[in-house]
Amino acid sequence: MSGVKLQKIVKAYGAVQVVHGIDLDVQENEFVVLVGPSGCGKSTTLRMIAGLEEISAGALHIDGRLMNRVAPKDRDVAMVFQNYALYPHLNVAENIAFGLKIRKVSKPEIEKSVEEVGHILGLTEYLDRRPADLSGGQRQRVAMGRAIVRRPKVFLFDEPLSNLDAKLRTQMRAEIKRLHNRLGVTSIYVTHDQVEAMTLADRIVVMSDGNIEQVGTPMDLFLNPKSVFVASFLGAPPMNMIKATVAEGDTGPVAVFEGQKIKLAPLEALRNQIGKSVTVGIRPEFAEIAGEGTADRIHIGMDLIETLGSEALLHATLGGEPFVIRTETLGKHNALGGVSGFTIRPDLIRVFDGETGEALVGQEVEA
Amino acid sequence: MSAPKDDLKRPRELKTFVVPGDERSRLERITDHLKRDWQLYLLLAPTIIWLLLFLYKPMYGLQIAFKDYSVFRGIADSPWIGWDHFETLFGSEQFLRALRNTIYISLLSLLFGFPAPIILALMFNEIYQQWFKKTAQTIVYLPHFISSVIIAGIVITAFSPSAGIVNTVIGWLGFDPVYFLTKPEWFRPIFVGTTIWQEAGFQSIVYLAAIAGVSPTLYESAVVDGASRWQMMWKITLPSIMTTIIIMLIIRIGNMLEVSFEMIILLYQPATYETADVINTYIYRQGIQGGQYDFAAAAGLFNAVVAFVLVMTANTLSKRYSRTSLW
Repeated sequence: MSGVKLQKIVKAYGAVQVVHGIDLDVQENEFVVLVGPSGCGKSTTLRMIAGLEEISAGALHIDGRLMNRVAPKDRDVAMVFQNYALYPHLNVAENIAFGLKIRKVSKPEIEKSVEEVGHILGLTEYLDRRPADLSGGQRQRVAMGRAIVRRPKVFLFDEPLSNLDAKLRTQMRAEIKRLHNRLGVTSIYVTHDQVEAMTLADRIVVMSDGNIEQVGTPMDLFLNPKSVFVASFLGAPPMNMIKATVAEGDTGPVAVFEGQKIKLAPLEALRNQIGKSVTVGIRPEFAEIAGEGTADRIHIGMDLIETLGSEALLHATLGGEPFVIRTETLGKHNALGGVSGFTIRPDLIRVFDGETGEALVGQEVEA
Repeated sequence: MSAPKDDLKRPRELKTFVVPGDERSRLERITDHLKRDWQLYLLLAPTIIWLLLFLYKPMYGLQIAFKDYSVFRGIADSPWIGWDHFETLFGSEQFLRALRNTIYISLLSLLFGFPAPIILALMFNEIYQQWFKKTAQTIVYLPHFISSVIIAGIVITAFSPSAGIVNTVIGWLGFDPVYFLTKPEWFRPIFVGTTIWQEAGFQSIVYLAAIAGVSPTLYESAVVDGASRWQMMWKITLPSIMTTIIIMLIIRIGNMLEVSFEMIILLYQPATYETADVINTYIYRQGIQGGQYDFAAAAGLFNAVVAFVLVMTANTLSKRYSRTSLW
């Protein structure tokens, strides 16, 4: 089995530690995405797996073999770089064949492999072109071709789509996913784009400041974020956060702030918080617009409407903080100007500890 | 997967500055351009003035190559004599010998002197220890900053038959001392070796700068692919700096006939004229020492025309075969 196992992996540059002992178990054929803001240590972690950075402490196993001191070429991994790393003086076919030539693979076999990869990636007609004569998307495909032609045990992707424009990025994202489905190779993918993480990953690893914040399936992370950091990092727009205090309501716990109440789920975990300050998280897509007089309606002050076509983002303020609602326009976006309140199903609200920002245990739902 | 149509964008070349629909005349366009970027042209002015004064104005004097020039009559009043000087030149065994020597020494310098700084730069690039790299670089740059007279002095001393280090070592090995600098067959290797020693280090800076410009991810990618350092040097570093190498080669070919003439004057002597006398030293002896300015001007003009043809040819060939050219 060609899984990748990280045990207490540390990276330090002199006295400065940038990755603080992370544990991660990537299963065979799994597509794992490392996501986090710039400087969170995700690329460093990937480079340690590739062997481009020395591991300061901890153990790295690929396919069950300890890899800490194994040269990159003997790890049987292939890496796709952000700026493609194509050799400008070689044409597409030579670029794809580079790794095989270095490994002294026979000429007929190289030709066969290059042709096959060219076909898979739709590059057949560009094989004799130089990288300078290709568009960004084509270059990205060549970079992937270089990786897949070697049939490695593990693919490593270091923000491979961040140099592409939005349209091409969406398209290439789908291509990477299709390629993974077709080849089924263990893949570790680094990005700071949460949409890429959500769409590509079997499991997402959210990193922050050199630590792993949470690991889970995209939907699990979306529905059950373990912390305010994860909740506000995943989802576009991010989860709305309201500072409130838990109080005893008529039918169960409620979150109270600035004279308004939000009904919370009648869970033991929340009842225990009565009197304590919490952060209430509401996903923009879970808030439902409600007219005057609706029960449990929360009042908001509208600020701006961004119409996206089928959907609209309503920017408002709630408790002095910005609050966004994502709603369907159903072709009648003009009516949205009069919105002044919303309701929310208590079981869709996530409550975080007011001080630590950790999600309160006992409110998770099935992803 | 297939490539979408909008994926087929090719880089476009801007062939002209004239925008379609621009009604201005050429003069108006140039005037507008000068008005807009006058600061840039102001910065350029000192160099242009220098070029005009010291490189273009003297060209007026080139006409003496076709005249029977006398200092007292002046350039304008000296009578025209057509190709006489050139005929004398090509009938002179001394000039033909100088021409042969120039070509021979130039080719030797090109063959050994041109790759030397490239090899040095590649070697420096492989040194990991920063202190060692810096020390080694300083040592090889140093001779460039030393006057040619001193360099020649060092060479003459080193090869001296009585006290020179070279002959001392030869003596230890049980051989008789060799009078290197008086033997025509030794002049060329000593000259070429000296110029390499003097200039290769400094010239390697250009290539080191080019190497510094190579994207580190190309190497990282190659490391993951399994390339050794040797393979990376051949397959990444060298091809990546090829443009710089070609440009330097074109410049070098253009200057090919300008063999380091001070160094030759400092190292040669009548005993080695046979292999050491080049066009420039010949011009110096005839023109400055012999006072035959018109004859020396003819030799100099010939030298310049050959250099011009060489640089044009090199540039055209390079443009055709490697997409790289000076202009």
